Amino acid sequence: MRAPNAARALTRRINEQYLMFGLAGLFLFLATAIYLSWHNQFLDFLTVSISAPLLLLLIGSISLRRISHGHDEIEGQLCSIADAPEKMSELRLIPSKSVLASGWNQLLTCVQQQQAWNGVERRLSEAIHTQQSHRWESMFHCLPDGVAACDENGLLLQVNVAFATIIGNDDTSRLLGKPLVQLIGHLLDGPSQEKLNQVELSNATQTLELCKTSNPADGVLRLTARATQDLDSSVQGSIWTLRDVTQLKLAERAREDFVFTATHELRTPLANIRAYSETLATAADIPIEQQHSFYNIINAEANRLSRFIDELLNISQMEAGAITIQKHEVQLERILTEVFELQNPLALEKSQKFEHSISPKLPRICADKEKLAAALANLIGNAIKYTPENGRVHVRVESDEQCVFFHVEDSGFGIAPDEITKLGTKFYRSNDPRIQDKTGSGLGLTFVQEVARLHGGTLAISSELNQGSCFTLEIPVR
Amino acid sequence: MNMLAPETTHPELRKVLVAEDNNVLGDVIRFNLQRAGCDVTLARNGKEAKEHLSTNVFDILLTDYEMPHINGAELCRIAREELDLHSMAILLCSAKSLEIDHDHLKSKYSIANILAKPFSMSELTDLVLKLIAPAHGVQLSSFSKIVLSH
Repeated sequence: MRAPNAARALTRRINEQYLMFGLAGLFLFLATAIYLSWHNQFLDFLTVSISAPLLLLLIGSISLRRISHGHDEIEGQLCSIADAPEKMSELRLIPSKSVLASGWNQLLTCVQQQQAWNGVERRLSEAIHTQQSHRWESMFHCLPDGVAACDENGLLLQVNVAFATIIGNDDTSRLLGKPLVQLIGHLLDGPSQEKLNQVELSNATQTLELCKTSNPADGVLRLTARATQDLDSSVQGSIWTLRDVTQLKLAERAREDFVFTATHELRTPLANIRAYSETLATAADIPIEQQHSFYNIINAEANRLSRFIDELLNISQMEAGAITIQKHEVQLERILTEVFELQNPLALEKSQKFEHSISPKLPRICADKEKLAAALANLIGNAIKYTPENGRVHVRVESDEQCVFFHVEDSGFGIAPDEITKLGTKFYRSNDPRIQDKTGSGLGLTFVQEVARLHGGTLAISSELNQGSCFTLEIPVR
Repeated sequence: MNMLAPETTHPELRKVLVAEDNNVLGDVIRFNLQRAGCDVTLARNGKEAKEHLSTNVFDILLTDYEMPHINGAELCRIAREELDLHSMAILLCSAKSLEIDHDHLKSKYSIANILAKPFSMSELTDLVLKLIAPAHGVQLSSFSKIVLSH
């Protein structure tokens, strides 16, 4: 509404100018008339009384035209944009050289230049914004964790690819508008659903671990939730992140199991050594033959402890990625004999049939003797461990021109097909309830695989549940 | 096997059942307890121990925690709840003693003590003798004397 006011003010000022000229002319006319009447010059009086107003009117008109010509048009233009500011672009220059028109034209030129510049600036800003949005969206979808934004009713507004993948849906756009809690909830077991339903959003981030079933191997999700707030602190919506921590949880559990297993494996021979040495020290009247037997047991248990520590060192090296091999030409028969001697008592203890058939024409191979022996001991030890009493363990060693094949067959529990591929995973232990009371680190087969790899060989596993397994270690001759 | 330990069951000897799947340790525990004057029966696993408990009377059960088939805690439950052996003392030993909820097990199955492996043989022997000491004041050392002179 400022434009009509300005136009009216301008009109008023011009009218005032007219009035000023009129008053000045009237004053001059009266002064001249009085002077001439005073000196009885009536003819002059008449001449002045006619010419002076005409002259004044002429001068005034010329002056006003030079000053305010075009003001009607300006007023019209100002009135036209009064209620429609978007018509600013329709303002036009006035083809006049009056002071008012020149000022108007200058003003309009400046305004138009400013408008043009504003347009450039806006377009630039829009381009930057578009680029930033695109970059932000790319980053959002590249995040490994699932991220979702919800409105105040918990309905999805925005969701990234990782989030959609974790909840088992590849299309993010199909998730929009759906209730987040229900989408996640239907993946979870009862207690976890209850935990999720009890989340009360606040501006502090809350973290929940939610299980798909009572078995962590089936899936564990780590969820964080946080309210997003407006300036007046009213809750506007929420931001959620989702991470699949199943493997992390399994690794944590496996590491814990490993520590307990290692503790047990260390304490058992230590307990035996302590018990026998203390018995020998306190009972002086033990017959000499029995003393010898006790000393032998202490020696055997010390060896067992030493072997386990070697295994721990191997595992530790493997964990650090620092396991190396030193290849020399080795005589396989000698390695195999040593390994069989070590494993035979374990098989005897379980009344198992421990057999071995070695091809008479085994070549000399280039290998790390210690690591190869440890790998074979591991395979045979496993076969004995996971085969019931009175079962059978058979080791076959054969070769061709390129490789030596060590087959370790057993009549044990066997391995479920879906578990065979997981066996080489660090700390992985089978879920078969029959092996839960067997101690093991979950690193043995990883070690064997690593030894095979470092020698340029492979480890192959074939198994049938309840029938037995066959582990084949293939080592190149050179 | 053991010249100093009694080969036959003496009616006055206190009867101990040792359930231990580590044969090497089981043998030395039996050796020491027999020398201390106990009648020792050795079970190589929880299942065997359960059979002994069902058919014989023992003054004390010394059991390992980790055993195949039936573990130590389960064996304690069977002894107390299935076989109603309430007067028999129980000692539990384990190489994983940190994993075990000692107070819970002790109170649930009236377990006298839980020993962490490796334990001292003399401490174990003293503890067993203390737990099976006759209430009517017979000196523990007299058991040893009886056995050694037997």
